[in-house]
Amino acid sequence: MFLAIKEMKHSKTRFAMIGAIIMLIAWLVFILSGLGNGLSTLAAATMKNIDGDLFIYEEGSEGTMMKTKVSGAIADDIEGKYGVKEAAKFGQSTIIVHNPKITDSKVNEDVAFLGIEPGKFIEPKVIEGKQLSNDNLFGVVIDESLADKGYSIGDKFEVTSSDITLEVVGITKGETFNHLPTVFVNVETWQSYAFAAPGSDNGLESPVAMIALQGENVDADAIASNYDAIETVTKSDAIMGMPGYKEESATIYMMLAFLFAISAVIIAVFFYVFILQKTQQFGVMKAIGASDRFIKNSIISQVFVLSLGSIIAGIGLTYLTALVFPEGMPFNLDFKMVLIYAVVLLIVSVLGSVISARQVTKIDPLTAIGRVE
Amino acid sequence: MTGLVLKNVTKSFKEGDSTVDALKNVSLSVNPGEFIAIIGPSGSGKSTLLSIAGALLQPSKGEVLVNDTNIGQMKEKELSSFRLTDIGFILQTSNLIPYLNVLDQLLLVCKMKGKVTAKEVKFAKALLKDLGLGQKLSKFPNELSGGERQRVAIARAFVNNSNVILADEPTASLDSNRAFEVVKQIRYEVKERNKAAVMVTHDERMLEFCDKVYRMEDGVLTLER
Repeated sequence: MFLAIKEMKHSKTRFAMIGAIIMLIAWLVFILSGLGNGLSTLAAATMKNIDGDLFIYEEGSEGTMMKTKVSGAIADDIEGKYGVKEAAKFGQSTIIVHNPKITDSKVNEDVAFLGIEPGKFIEPKVIEGKQLSNDNLFGVVIDESLADKGYSIGDKFEVTSSDITLEVVGITKGETFNHLPTVFVNVETWQSYAFAAPGSDNGLESPVAMIALQGENVDADAIASNYDAIETVTKSDAIMGMPGYKEESATIYMMLAFLFAISAVIIAVFFYVFILQKTQQFGVMKAIGASDRFIKNSIISQVFVLSLGSIIAGIGLTYLTALVFPEGMPFNLDFKMVLIYAVVLLIVSVLGSVISARQVTKIDPLTAIGRVE
Repeated sequence: MTGLVLKNVTKSFKEGDSTVDALKNVSLSVNPGEFIAIIGPSGSGKSTLLSIAGALLQPSKGEVLVNDTNIGQMKEKELSSFRLTDIGFILQTSNLIPYLNVLDQLLLVCKMKGKVTAKEVKFAKALLKDLGLGQKLSKFPNELSGGERQRVAIARAFVNNSNVILADEPTASLDSNRAFEVVKQIRYEVKERNKAAVMVTHDERMLEFCDKVYRMEDGVLTLER
């Protein structure tokens, strides 16, 4: 540490430049992770918000939201059995809505139309207005992102290509589904919309998309063997089954993985060159009696201090840039995630320096002797 | 006895298929308080001798005793900690660490052993004051003259308070006046602190300050004076 700090104080420009590069890498990592997080929120926020322990999907759907249809009767039957405390029906469709109050060019909106049972655990809390109720079948709770587009409590709007008219009773937040703003409605209303065409219910009794289960020690095997034409999936599989979710996060994680690998190589190469430049110095130190460990520790602690400072600067820079990002950009920084990536980046850079510090062992202290200039 | 003793030391290097003897059956003993010089042309084996005496190289044959410790059988790691505590190297001026100030050059040696104590700081300051560097403690090597830099190198060799001091061409790259000054100072410190000191040089003007002079030629050491 002694040598590390003294050297950085002495050659400020050199270390400032390396620090700047580490900071820019950190910045890129955090921006990417913010974008990844924003995209996955857009794709599956509602699914993530459902505090379910197990989910019932149609057999063969492999947890894919767009392929599943199960009988709602299972939900009524299953409560209190196999460790299930509460079962909640969930249905989804994509609809186009038209609010006559809004008269600008974009009059129609794509939204996710989600059928739920009022009072069950999957119902989101409203931040304004009232929750859903069984008394008002056409009252809906909308997401903030739709409210931002001009929808407000009391508005009546139409669902295109049907004769349904809905009324906004409450507004919730942080609920997006399949990259769309959400409209929560009573599941019965949803069923009358989704299965309006005769035969589209596959002959199921009270069909819904899936059923979310809550309870300690839910017995997945017993459920699967006691009901026909269903399969059970875990929450993380259910989130993976959201359209685009897997592909989007795979892309982002791929880029992040490459970034981490590249930053490790960059840092390792930088310090490799540094060590080459200082071979003579290290030879002298070894002649005086410095152990390899002493020199390695000083190199690694230098990288640690430098990376730590640069990564913290990178976090600062990220939050500053987040302020100027345009509204509506799917950018969502989660501080816990930023912290995790910061630690990973720190570990990666220290590992890079450990690799290049290994060549210190090869430096011969004899280089210090008998060298007349 | 303390001090430095080499008994029948031979050092061979492999050069292609043949082996070359850099040192041939060299014996040397230096008592505490003695300041000896080894002269000889380049390539004669002076540096090899210094490296063996300084625990940087192992002899092929023979014994090397520093303070009665035989260093011939030591492993790499033991050697480096032995150098740290028992040997003081006076290296050429270019071998100061560029980003450390004068005091830190000395404290680095203490750091290698562990935590720097207040006593060590006091000793380092006294040593530097002794060598006329009392006003330059916070200067960096590039802010010092050649003579001053060499004096820092001398102080660094004494800071671990070892019994053996080895000097490698301490007057290279210095003009005559400064060179005399530097060698006189080494002699003063050696006598004052009762060290066994060996200086390798090809500067014959410096020999008047030494108690004994050896000449090295083709790996053979002979007493000249």
